[in-house]
Amino acid sequence: MAPSLLLGGLLLILLVLSAVSLAVGRAPLDVGSAIAQWVRGESTLATLVLIELRVPRTLLAVLVGASLGLAGAALQGLLRNPLAEPGIIGVSACAAFGAVIAFYSGLSLAAPLALPLAGITGALIAVVLLYALAGREASTLTLILAGVAINGFAGAATALALNLAPNPFAVTEIVFWMMGSLADRSISHLLLAAPLMILGWALLLTSGRALDALTLGEDTAASLGVQLSRLRFMLVLGTALAVGSGVAVTGAVGFVGLVAPHLLRPFVAHQPSRLLVASAFAGAVLVLAADIAIRLITVGPELKLGVVTALIGAPFFLMLVMRLRRETI
Amino acid sequence: MKAGHGVAVLLLASVIGTGNTAPQRIVSLNLCADELVLRLAPPGTVKSVTWLARDPTLSNVSALAQDVPVNRGLAEDVVPLAPDLVIAGAYTARTAVALLKRLGIPVLELKVPTDVEEALAQIKTVATALGAPAKGTQLIADVRSGLSELHVASTGLSQPIAAVYQPNGLTIGKGSLVDDLLSRAGLRNLAVERRIDNYGELPLELLLFAQPDLLIINTAEDRGPAMAYEVLRHPALARRYHGARVISVPSAWWSCPGPRLVDAVQRLQHAAQRLPSLSKAER
Repeated sequence: MAPSLLLGGLLLILLVLSAVSLAVGRAPLDVGSAIAQWVRGESTLATLVLIELRVPRTLLAVLVGASLGLAGAALQGLLRNPLAEPGIIGVSACAAFGAVIAFYSGLSLAAPLALPLAGITGALIAVVLLYALAGREASTLTLILAGVAINGFAGAATALALNLAPNPFAVTEIVFWMMGSLADRSISHLLLAAPLMILGWALLLTSGRALDALTLGEDTAASLGVQLSRLRFMLVLGTALAVGSGVAVTGAVGFVGLVAPHLLRPFVAHQPSRLLVASAFAGAVLVLAADIAIRLITVGPELKLGVVTALIGAPFFLMLVMRLRRETI
Repeated sequence: MKAGHGVAVLLLASVIGTGNTAPQRIVSLNLCADELVLRLAPPGTVKSVTWLARDPTLSNVSALAQDVPVNRGLAEDVVPLAPDLVIAGAYTARTAVALLKRLGIPVLELKVPTDVEEALAQIKTVATALGAPAKGTQLIADVRSGLSELHVASTGLSQPIAAVYQPNGLTIGKGSLVDDLLSRAGLRNLAVERRIDNYGELPLELLLFAQPDLLIINTAEDRGPAMAYEVLRHPALARRYHGARVISVPSAWWSCPGPRLVDAVQRLQHAAQRLPSLSKAER
């Protein structure tokens, strides 16, 4: 498929879903008139709900989804492994742990930027650890086992930190940090996460051509002029920035980074450089669609975002593992 | 509460049967029971209260609890004390209660009161079980006179609407002590108008659209940050609700039977009376 056609189509879907996302919510809201009022500079209930609640939520869904999709594609390229994904290999979980430490210690109240920075630090540790454990020519099995260990440890550490937090409500928030949610996020959350997230995107997107070369193996890539250590550094830092700052405000959202690249890979002729942008779009579409689904299901308290992405992602993951097994036999 | 009386009567019969004396080794396994035993029981007879009772942000009687040993709601904490009366909540420390009953230790279980009358009846039940009925009667009379001094005639639909907004976006509706206190303070409860029973979810969008006159939040925030409070800090909420339109009530004030119920009503009423002049200007 022609690149412009693919990206144009994805952009169109994203715009349509964004419009739907602005229109869907618990309160009855006439989006058209609310936008008209906002343009006229009026401050009404409708503009308040639209601008302060639904716009940040929609933008955050797009940004976090894009970050996860992009990071998933980049990690799969770097580790040359189809199962690499921020959620499965523990990057999201470690970022969540970092954010939990910053949040419940009160550090993020004193200095708001501490929250995304701690998330990034957590993600950074996870990616470095993963690369040390399973980098280079590691088998899929090694990668998954390392991921399971990191994921489990980060999850347990998060639960422990919440148990030790002085606030009685903290313990009930384990689900939020493990599953993620976009409910009632505000524009300040968005402004906190977006700059660092976009910095991460920049790092990841500039590594496209080097990733293409890497598909031929490390030695060939090196002979083509790719500086591997620099590439590794950029991808690790980029993933940490993009995923860490996002997870710090939404909690860990799973499977998006896995599903998005795989859905798009056939359309970009398995070319990592083209996959990066496409996968970012697909990630944004997936998270936005999941978040819309959450708001349409109005039975009982709101579902967590990770519940819906896991419902879609886990069967997909199983399918992928089965196909991989068939190929190796 | 009928059942509660039944339990108390049964229990008293057994206490009286074993020597006609008031319990001398009392243990409480519930935060609200802590308050009642510390206020009502004769000095020296309370052998243990919950560890929460010493926390001033959670307990109304933290000062009284400082010198009393604490337990964490485990049977192992209680059994060595050889209590002759254990007071527990109907929904808390269930495994410990089951074990204590099997060991033949008398246990008085307190339900969660759903209105002020039930709360007062509970004071009576506990005071009787503690062998201090006079103190109980006095406390009930104090609460009653406090509430009747604050009494205002209901003016129906012209009353301001209040929304109780708790961490995690929960609200408190019909069939709760809080709802009764709100109406005694001359406030209508948004959750009741929206048909939300007991503890229900109130999404932020709906809250903003419902435009309650007064927003009531719990104060426990000094216990350190929690994601649950983030929603209370949301700019969309902060823009509409500040100054006299937001008040906080410590959750201990309006969840446990005791004199603090009067303070809760007083604070709510004071807030309601300050409203009318403001709400028109700010809307």
